[in-house]
Amino acid sequence: MTKIAQSSPGLRRSWPEAPSEPRIRFEGKMMLPGLILLAALSILPFLALVAMSFSRVRLLGGVRLELVGLSNWVRSFTDADMWMSWLRTIIYFVLTVGLEMVLGLGIALCLYRVLRGRNLLLGLILLPMFVAPSIVGLLGRYLTDSTFGLYAYVLRSLGFTGDILGSPTSAFAAVVLMDVWEWTPLIALISLAGLSSVPQSVREAAAVDGASGWMTLRFIIFPAISNVLLVALLIRSMDAIRYFDIIWVTTNGGPADATKIVPIRLYETAFRFFDFGYAAAIGLTMLAFSILIARAFVRMLDTRGLTR
Amino acid sequence: MSTSTTGPDRTARTARRPVQAAPRGVPQSPLEESGRGTRWVVAIVVVVAMLWTLVPLLWMLLSSFKNSADVTAATPQFLFTPVLDNYRNLFTGANNLWPYIWHSVLAAGISAVLAVCLGALAGYGLARTQMRGKKHLAFWIISTRMAPIAAIVVPLFLIFRGLGLIDSIPGLVLAYLSFNLPFAIWLMSAFFAEVPPSLEESALVAGCTRWQAFRTVILPLTKSGLVTTFVLCLVFAWNDYAFAVVFSGPNSQTLPIAASQLVTQTGIDWGQLTAIGTIVVIPMMLAGLAVRRWLVTGLTLGAVTGE
Repeated sequence: MTKIAQSSPGLRRSWPEAPSEPRIRFEGKMMLPGLILLAALSILPFLALVAMSFSRVRLLGGVRLELVGLSNWVRSFTDADMWMSWLRTIIYFVLTVGLEMVLGLGIALCLYRVLRGRNLLLGLILLPMFVAPSIVGLLGRYLTDSTFGLYAYVLRSLGFTGDILGSPTSAFAAVVLMDVWEWTPLIALISLAGLSSVPQSVREAAAVDGASGWMTLRFIIFPAISNVLLVALLIRSMDAIRYFDIIWVTTNGGPADATKIVPIRLYETAFRFFDFGYAAAIGLTMLAFSILIARAFVRMLDTRGLTR
Repeated sequence: MSTSTTGPDRTARTARRPVQAAPRGVPQSPLEESGRGTRWVVAIVVVVAMLWTLVPLLWMLLSSFKNSADVTAATPQFLFTPVLDNYRNLFTGANNLWPYIWHSVLAAGISAVLAVCLGALAGYGLARTQMRGKKHLAFWIISTRMAPIAAIVVPLFLIFRGLGLIDSIPGLVLAYLSFNLPFAIWLMSAFFAEVPPSLEESALVAGCTRWQAFRTVILPLTKSGLVTTFVLCLVFAWNDYAFAVVFSGPNSQTLPIAASQLVTQTGIDWGQLTAIGTIVVIPMMLAGLAVRRWLVTGLTLGAVTGE
């Protein structure tokens, strides 16, 4: 009895806004076209991906799926090459995102002390972000070419001879640095926005209290911009998993698989070996990772109330 | 920090701070007016960062004006007679660049326009709705934006094959919408959330319909948001390689594909390649810098509002 009494107002809670009910409808109508298209572009492929991951996909004579149970999944977890790709992906991820965070923050801290011309400098620093990643890769190839590359020439005069993209370690370092070149500016931009939001008065108070530069940084600046840094980290992490164009056009996974991170392997599996079922299983695993990061991002927005 | 000032007297201790600041001499505001050492560090870091950032871009620009001998000279050529050969070769002959430019403009432009229109509508709805599953809805939207391209390309390829959308501009537009639409919805919703609801409430009181209030009051207030969203969508789509390499064919190949096609087994025409690179890059840089003020907001999906 009491349960019913309690639950019915709960149920009714959606109605009390009856006067403003058209309001809800209006918002729904506004969202409808976009959400329908988005559903078609995301839920449909997702279901297809799930179905494919349990099947062998035949392409000739119309697309057909033949159920093969868990074999794609079993394969993806027992494939030693695949594990190596994951390991490489993690190293690539940690190195790129880590370097970008450190360098981006460093540049932001320095730019912040530049009083005159800061806007011009920041504008110039930002330019790499707008370069198509595939062009970054191709340009990187040009710069590191062992016969006529500018950077290869500089390195040669410093004593490093050898084909940069030709040997595993230096190729890996090169693709990491190309990504760092393109995306450090993003971190610098976001960090600088965070730094600018630390009130002048707080910094002045710290200075009056005799805090050294490092202490101000450690106890005033970092805590104040930690939220912003976290946003930068999460945004960059999500994109770091998404993009692989640079590796695709420079080494294409080589030499000797040294730069074959998971997305490259996925492309190769699907579009060179036409093993769509296996590629789907790999894709779903990647998707799970990116959803975890997206979840952290949304949760952080919720708890720290950065926006809504 | 202040072990040097020792006073047995408790009252002296409380007064210590202002006293201590004085002997340090220069009134320190550690960020703006730093010591000479820090200033050098700052200068060096800034110079190195600028070189690291700009040298590749300048080198690309310079090389695009070199003749074929200078482009692949073993010693880098800084002084050379600039020639327009690379650009001329790109725009003449059977395999010229115009179709690629046209495909890029169409695919990126249409997808950006559609994303902004649908994104503005849905973003407004999302910002104002009080429906129950709002958080789940928002999470679904952001997670589609963040889904790895490699994971989407595979099923989309099969679906597009079935629908005959491979090698067509509509196919590319749809593929680009798969990441631009959730981005636009999320970002526009962040921009709309900053407009106080009281504004449209007063418009309603004045006799507007909800649509009129949105159209005439709210939308003009978020003009900068619309422009920023459009530019960023344009940049993401224009710069895409992963989708285009799978979905496009002779009828829809975009500029990044044109660039990668210059890489052949027999060798690479670096002069032409740097010229294409310059053509691909410059419009996006200009567009991006045009919305500099809102870049932070845009690129953090509204999580950080800048400057």
